[in-house]
Amino acid sequence: MQALLEYAIVGGVLYGIFFGLVAVGLNLIFGVMRIINLAHGEFVILGGFGAYWVSHSLGLNPLWGLPLAALGAVVIGFPLYYAVVPGLQRSRDPEMLSFILFFGLAQIIDAIISLGFGPDQRSLPDEALGGGTISVLGQAFPDSWWVAAGVSVLAILGLWLYLTRTRLGFATRAIMANRDEAYATGISVDKVSAIAFIIGLALAGAAGVFVPYLQGSVGPGIGNSLTTTSFAILIIGSLGNPVGTLFGGLVFGVGSMLMQTFYASWSDLVPYVLLVVIVLVRPQGLFGKAVRHA
Amino acid sequence: MSSEPILTLTNVAKSFGGLQVLSDVNFELKPGEILGLVGPNGSGKTSVINLISGVHQPEAGSIRFDGAEIQRLTPHARVKLGINRSFQVPKCFISMSVRENIEVAAHFSGHNADIPAILDDIGLTGMEATPAASLTANQQKMLDLGRALATGPKLLLVDEIGAGLNPAELTGIADLLKRIAARGISMIVVEHLMEFLNKLTSRVIVLSAGKIIFEGSLEDASHDPEVVTAFFGGAA
Amino acid sequence: MRESWFKRARAGLITAAVLALVFSLAPNVYNNSSLLFMMMTYIVLSQGLNLLYGFTGYLPFGYVGFFGTGAYATALLVMKLHLPIGLAIAAGPIASMIVALVLGPLLRLSGAYFSIANLAASQILFIVIGNPNLQDITGGPYGVKIDEVYNPTASYAAMVVLVVVVTLIATFFRRSRFGQGLKAMADDPVSAEMSAIPVVRMRLLAWLTSAAVAGLAGALYAWNLSVFYPDAVFTLEISVFAIVFALFGGVGTVLGPIIGAGLLYALYNAIGISEPQYFQLIYGVLIVGLVMFLPEGILSLLTRRGINVF
Repeated sequence: MQALLEYAIVGGVLYGIFFGLVAVGLNLIFGVMRIINLAHGEFVILGGFGAYWVSHSLGLNPLWGLPLAALGAVVIGFPLYYAVVPGLQRSRDPEMLSFILFFGLAQIIDAIISLGFGPDQRSLPDEALGGGTISVLGQAFPDSWWVAAGVSVLAILGLWLYLTRTRLGFATRAIMANRDEAYATGISVDKVSAIAFIIGLALAGAAGVFVPYLQGSVGPGIGNSLTTTSFAILIIGSLGNPVGTLFGGLVFGVGSMLMQTFYASWSDLVPYVLLVVIVLVRPQGLFGKAVRHA
Repeated sequence: MSSEPILTLTNVAKSFGGLQVLSDVNFELKPGEILGLVGPNGSGKTSVINLISGVHQPEAGSIRFDGAEIQRLTPHARVKLGINRSFQVPKCFISMSVRENIEVAAHFSGHNADIPAILDDIGLTGMEATPAASLTANQQKMLDLGRALATGPKLLLVDEIGAGLNPAELTGIADLLKRIAARGISMIVVEHLMEFLNKLTSRVIVLSAGKIIFEGSLEDASHDPEVVTAFFGGAA
Repeated sequence: MRESWFKRARAGLITAAVLALVFSLAPNVYNNSSLLFMMMTYIVLSQGLNLLYGFTGYLPFGYVGFFGTGAYATALLVMKLHLPIGLAIAAGPIASMIVALVLGPLLRLSGAYFSIANLAASQILFIVIGNPNLQDITGGPYGVKIDEVYNPTASYAAMVVLVVVVTLIATFFRRSRFGQGLKAMADDPVSAEMSAIPVVRMRLLAWLTSAAVAGLAGALYAWNLSVFYPDAVFTLEISVFAIVFALFGGVGTVLGPIIGAGLLYALYNAIGISEPQYFQLIYGVLIVGLVMFLPEGILSLLTRRGINVF
């Protein structure tokens, strides 16, 4: 019993830190552009397939999927931002229309992945990230989990430093606080937002590299559950704050692992129940701004 | 006309997230009277309007209208009792025509409104079929007022309707509000522009930091030291 | 002043009559009646979704939850309580309205939050109903079977009736003061309150109506299929199709969802069933294109030319 509990908590912390990374890109894009990127989960999957491709076709370590995710985010994100976002911001109902548009984009990406890689689930070799296990409190978890958690912490910390220590980061936060005022103070809102958009996609892709390890495999069709889970996490952790998202990830991760350990068949409910309960009971997140009107 | 007040606020208080925006607000309004509500930015003028119209609910105190307590009623229920308002930033029903904007308010309030007369009042006669979305900002303000009139109010709350208008337009609005008041409709007019208010009423209430600091004539208000400090004297 | 109710309802009556005629006669000339049944199901679901999204601006991403609830309520009442099929079907919309009442607080959320929370709610229903631990009650992942009441002809006829009813409800939303009030709320809820519109109550009413439509569609679907897994009635694809079909035709109109569902479901049958990825690609592109160039749907091509679309 004690061992099971320790297993669930250690595993939940690792799993949760990783899910902080899965969700943080969605949070950044939402905070800056007020757009719910419903294709977020699909970008995570793309990252996973990128890692699969470098590993299987190029014979490289799947960690090369990380720079590939960054590169892919620039190549896809830059034109995508300018093609759709400024137009949406000017539209009658930016929130809802962008929601629907990115939903369409999710379908396109999902279809392209299925057409390109087939509908199968793909996994990656354990040895690539160590292949052994590391134990804490007597609970052994594969090296890949620790690598994923380590990279996640670094990426979230990096984002936090970017937002708090750089000029672009300041500008990004100014836009998060008030887009109109940011325009008025002469910040080049579109440039700063485009960069935030690319960073958001890159983080999603980077998280995808580890999905085959933490979820067992990656394949088309899981994007939707990744997006909703990410949304639940960002709502728990409050908007615009990467450290909050890490915290949200931990709540989800530990909750999920506890359920998986003790009530396995109900564990799929965790993200959805968290989401519904939190938007209704505490829409401003456990700390943060209100998202509810009237 | 009876001299019973149509509206009575007793010890009304409101705060948002720990910030006290109104405390201990007491005043009365007689039928057919126009009351000016003035004060610096953030003094709580619009909050008073929001509490009376039901957009927000007070934490403490009572609001009586026409002999009944209304502070727990929904906004639409208050509209049916005869309270309506205009908005500082009007939000007309932009998917509808001018006429539909007024019709929908008349229908749901159950008031048998004279729509041509209202259109005439707000200067939009001949534009019945125009989409509200293509009106100018001032025309939207007028349509917002028309929506309020269509529900047959006994009390009309007017929130900074003069902002952004030129002197000729201001005179026009002042005349319209006087005509409306002459029909026996009581009015609370929130306004920054003293000259404008001067045309409408002599009785004003001055709010500062959520409290009433003066009640009396506009003339006396301008000589009241506390009022002068609140408006010009930095440390408030 | 205002036109008589008959004049206002005329376009709706004609539309409903045409639909009834087409779907009553179609099995005589086209023998794939399960395709026709599914097309009607999607017309109903797109229209039901339109009642909410087109008139109040709330996009129910978890709309399938009501469909699945209706289907399961009917199936379980037949299986466990041996209720006559008519009663069991009537219970479908009642069950989905109860779910809608429980989820009522979601309506306090603004646009996208509502959508995503509703999506989560439908997933919760799916996970609970399909849960192996509840196999004794719901059949769990192994689904339900009511082949003793299987009746393809009668269930087909019932779906034709539902298409007619839903068209008439949509007509009411489009042409009545009630619908005008909903539009006003969608434009601005505060101004709507100040027009004496009981915003909360009317929004709830639209939500319940929309849920009941999906619940009834689910009930008839269960009857027609008679054997199904939880996946079949809770798959997110059903929400997605209803949304895409309604958006494609144009929400806020009566004809839009009918045309959207008719055309796109036919397209789905032509290419989608054998090559689902290609169909997914097509509707993904369609959605992006619609939002960017035709946010009011294809019928707005007519509206823009000054033609009034019903």
